[in-house]
Amino acid sequence: MADTNQAIQANTNRSPAFRFGLSRYRQLIALLIAVLLLWTVLSFASPYFMTVQNLTNIALQSSVVGIMAVGFTILLIGGEIDLAIGSTQALAGTLAALLIIQRGLSIWAGVLIVLAMGLIVGNVNGYFSLFTKVPSFIVTLAMLGVLQGLAFVMTSGQTIGGFPEAFKVLGHGRVGVIPLPVIIFFSVTVLVQLVLSQTRYGVELYATGGNREAAGLVGISVRRVLMLAFIASSMLCTLAGLVLSARLNAGHGSFGSESLLDAVAAVIIGGTSLNGGAGNTFGTLLGIILISTIKNGLILLGVDPFWQQVAVGALILAAVLVDKTIKGELSPKDLLPRLVRR
Amino acid sequence: MVAKSVWKSYGQVRALIDATFQIDTGETVAIVGDNGAGKSTLVKILTGAIQPDAGSLELGGREVAFRTTRDSLQLGVTAVYQNLALADNMTVAENVFLGRVPTRWLRVDRRRMERESAELLGSLAINVPDVRARTASLSGGQRQAVAIARSFRSGRQLMILDEPTAALGVQEGQKVLDIIEGLKGQRVSIIVVSHNLDHVFRVADRIVVMRGGRIVGSRRKEETTTADIVHLIVGTRE
Repeated sequence: MADTNQAIQANTNRSPAFRFGLSRYRQLIALLIAVLLLWTVLSFASPYFMTVQNLTNIALQSSVVGIMAVGFTILLIGGEIDLAIGSTQALAGTLAALLIIQRGLSIWAGVLIVLAMGLIVGNVNGYFSLFTKVPSFIVTLAMLGVLQGLAFVMTSGQTIGGFPEAFKVLGHGRVGVIPLPVIIFFSVTVLVQLVLSQTRYGVELYATGGNREAAGLVGISVRRVLMLAFIASSMLCTLAGLVLSARLNAGHGSFGSESLLDAVAAVIIGGTSLNGGAGNTFGTLLGIILISTIKNGLILLGVDPFWQQVAVGALILAAVLVDKTIKGELSPKDLLPRLVRR
Repeated sequence: MVAKSVWKSYGQVRALIDATFQIDTGETVAIVGDNGAGKSTLVKILTGAIQPDAGSLELGGREVAFRTTRDSLQLGVTAVYQNLALADNMTVAENVFLGRVPTRWLRVDRRRMERESAELLGSLAINVPDVRARTASLSGGQRQAVAIARSFRSGRQLMILDEPTAALGVQEGQKVLDIIEGLKGQRVSIIVVSHNLDHVFRVADRIVVMRGGRIVGSRRKEETTTADIVHLIVGTRE
């Protein structure tokens, strides 16, 4: 009996770090500090940085890619990947332009068809990745080509512009001083995080990403969990495509197709594990703000825009190396080439 | 639970040949045998992880057919596998409730999970630093103990422990054996698959020996010796 009481007491003891929940948010706090530090440096480096207009621009630039990145976060937590997010977004915007502008469909009908397209793409990605055992990396790489090609074929490579005013609200509307895309992005971030952290589905997704075999053996329907993740990712890309086309007042096969790099970078910088089983959308939100800030800062400092891609790519590599070092999978001395170490 | 005349082949390889196995309520049975003897195939069939080519299963006197592990779980049959037990990225409480997470108004009821996990672990005299700790931070023995607790929570009829002490040091292995012994008064049937005959003799009521896909012997612990079991395993005695 004494043993039992001792065990119960031990099991319910909580260290101070756990009591305040700080250890769980360590990575988020570090990222927030990094963003604030960068903002401080840039506000001294450029008089234009800390203006309402510029900060609104950063928020707007973050929004479309951010919505996609949130979808990518869900999938990566489950241990899967979707390389077709950029082309899904491009196809969604193009299809919306084709249906609403060229074919004259009502906005609601056009949006519903585009969302249905996202549903189909998610199902196709999920089906081939989960039922044919072809890795999602390959399936979605193929889908990247298919969807991007379809977007160009549908419009013969032309840009279709001139959405009705009511549709453009999606990209240009404001609630008070806050742009609607920013509100959509923030709402999606919060909503998805609530699902991940508060629902049974969230627990099952983390379990599946952490140990797929164990999840299956305790009765979790791994395929159902991951299929929903594929669908959520595609649907969010579709939403991002609608917002982008409304912002640009046009649809074209190339719009947003380059955003894959930024979305992946945001998710990885945000702390989502490449091996699955860990991550959250608030990290992704901070990750995309960091990337948008760096890009914005480079422009304000007069650096050649082509360096932006180099910076984002380098940031991905740095984030992965830091993550592996923190987890103890990599020692700082491993980073030095053998010859240098000798 | 009873498995009657069960057969299973993988291509040309006969993994299980006319195996009939029975375990009574509250009994602890150890299944021993060399590698390739058919132990894993038998326990996978008992949990529905794989299906037999022929033969039948009975639970509580009724014939059952397990197409998946979910089917067997619903009837209170669970297994703890050697390396597949836990999701390391999750907390102890989440792992204890994995697959059957309680909700309240669609929200995961974490308070209940944590409270009931602490009670369950306490009742089995399992010590972990905190039910909110990630299982990755636990020792091998603590992880195995958490996996056993989870299995016990959902396996009210039959628990199958596949090599529960294989990856553990001496002290931690002993602790896990203590937990298994503690389970014996709980009216749950336990199958322990192990290579370690000392451990088998400590916890089992009966020892079933497999060789070449067949069940070649079943001995009550009091009526046999280690040497007798070894002879059965290597085939120098029937």
